[in-house]
Amino acid sequence: MAKNLLAKKIGFYIILVIVWQAISMADIWPNNIFPSPYEVAEDLVYTGADGSLFYGIGTSILRLVIGLAMAIVGGIVLGIFMARVEVVNQTIGSLVLGLQSIPSVAWVPLAILWFGLTDAGIIFVTAIGAVFAVTINTYTGVKNIDPHYVEAARNMGAKGSQLITNVLIPAAFPYMISGFKQGWAFAWRGVIGAELLFSFLGLGFLLNVGRQLNDVSQVIAIMLVIMMIGIAVDGVIFKKLEDKVMSRWGLR
Amino acid sequence: MKMAKLETKGIVKHFAHESHKLMALGGVDLKVEDGDFVCLVGPSGCGKSTFLRIVAGLETPDEGEILFDGKPVTTTGPERIMVFQEGALFPWLRVQDNVEFGLKMAGIPKEERAQISKRYLDMMQLTKFANSFTYQLSTGMRQRVAIARALVMDPDVLLMDEPFAALDAQTRDLLLVEMQLIWEKTKKTILFVTHNVAEAAVLGTKVAIFSNRPSKIKKLVPVDFKRPRTPEDENLLGLQQEILSELRPEVKKSK
Repeated sequence: MAKNLLAKKIGFYIILVIVWQAISMADIWPNNIFPSPYEVAEDLVYTGADGSLFYGIGTSILRLVIGLAMAIVGGIVLGIFMARVEVVNQTIGSLVLGLQSIPSVAWVPLAILWFGLTDAGIIFVTAIGAVFAVTINTYTGVKNIDPHYVEAARNMGAKGSQLITNVLIPAAFPYMISGFKQGWAFAWRGVIGAELLFSFLGLGFLLNVGRQLNDVSQVIAIMLVIMMIGIAVDGVIFKKLEDKVMSRWGLR
Repeated sequence: MKMAKLETKGIVKHFAHESHKLMALGGVDLKVEDGDFVCLVGPSGCGKSTFLRIVAGLETPDEGEILFDGKPVTTTGPERIMVFQEGALFPWLRVQDNVEFGLKMAGIPKEERAQISKRYLDMMQLTKFANSFTYQLSTGMRQRVAIARALVMDPDVLLMDEPFAALDAQTRDLLLVEMQLIWEKTKKTILFVTHNVAEAAVLGTKVAIFSNRPSKIKKLVPVDFKRPRTPEDENLLGLQQEILSELRPEVKKSK
């Protein structure tokens, strides 16, 4: 079954590349507007060979990791507070829902004014774009904990931070993973968007350079890299984490 | 006079029912001696589970007080440990870690925890399942884990809220025998809520019969037959009849 699925996927991408190559060879559009897959691959190799691609990937991922880590920590703390303290939910909770509806890139002007064209500004955009998704999912997760878990734990002497780390977080974890997944997706969009507008290193910056040089194949090459990193993070890191938790709980 | 291990004085508790308040517990007085195995039976909805939760300190009574060794208690404490109806085991922990949870909270080091938990895992015949997750266990096994988890805390009083209600008949009969052995071995004071009169007669040294709302303890029936008892014991049939005849009018009133 799994092999069959993989074969289908590989087959699909081979056909996609062949069709792409055929269209570019048909000369409907000039090559500098619609490059062939070969040219895109060539560009990947060039940017890879001179190191600029890997430097760009490294820069973007570092910003992502820092921003997302801040969002996860902040989101968990805020989410637990909202779930356990009613007045926090009634006040800050409504604000969180509002802020969640602001697209990450809409924070860019504010980030530039506050932090200048710095790493801190881009990390700010990344973190703020992801934090509320983590918050809301953590809140939902903690709200949905079977109250008997908390009662049993309190009865066995768990209190304060012990209760949070030993019961609330693990019990809410299946929901929190959804929050991390959403948060990561927002964060990744945030990083690339911010880098485009800040034009300060990273994959978003390389996209911008490609546009400025009228180099369509570089733009497509970088977009492919962004997509593949997305697939890798979703399909490897989050899928593994999710599978592990779900199988422990017997949910799958 | 000997002081009771656990005493409740005039416990009153109201439920919110639609727009008005309903008096569920109408002044429950109960004295439990050290080593007693008291089974609480009553019509459904009479508040016997609520009463148990109040004794555990998980709910506060509207009136009345709980005395433990003569001193009033208002919060939950490790000397009164609850076994929940569905076990309330933590699905993110393996069986052994579930059993050791209270010890971990008390800051007991890992090796010592393992020694203590091993004893109770053996007692509950769970050794083979120490590394399993809870979803891999049958309901009966889960209740064994729940009982082991409670016993590990070495509480003076074990509070059990219909722990066998969800079990099939064979598993329950097995656990009824084991529960008597555990009680004899550990000398725990036990309060055991059940809706099953036979279960109460088999397990209890006393059976406390709750009246219909607002509930009080209508009668405290001593049970003095030799153990281990089984639900088929003919000696117990008369007693079951006696309990049922007390219960029946209360169940009728509750309808």
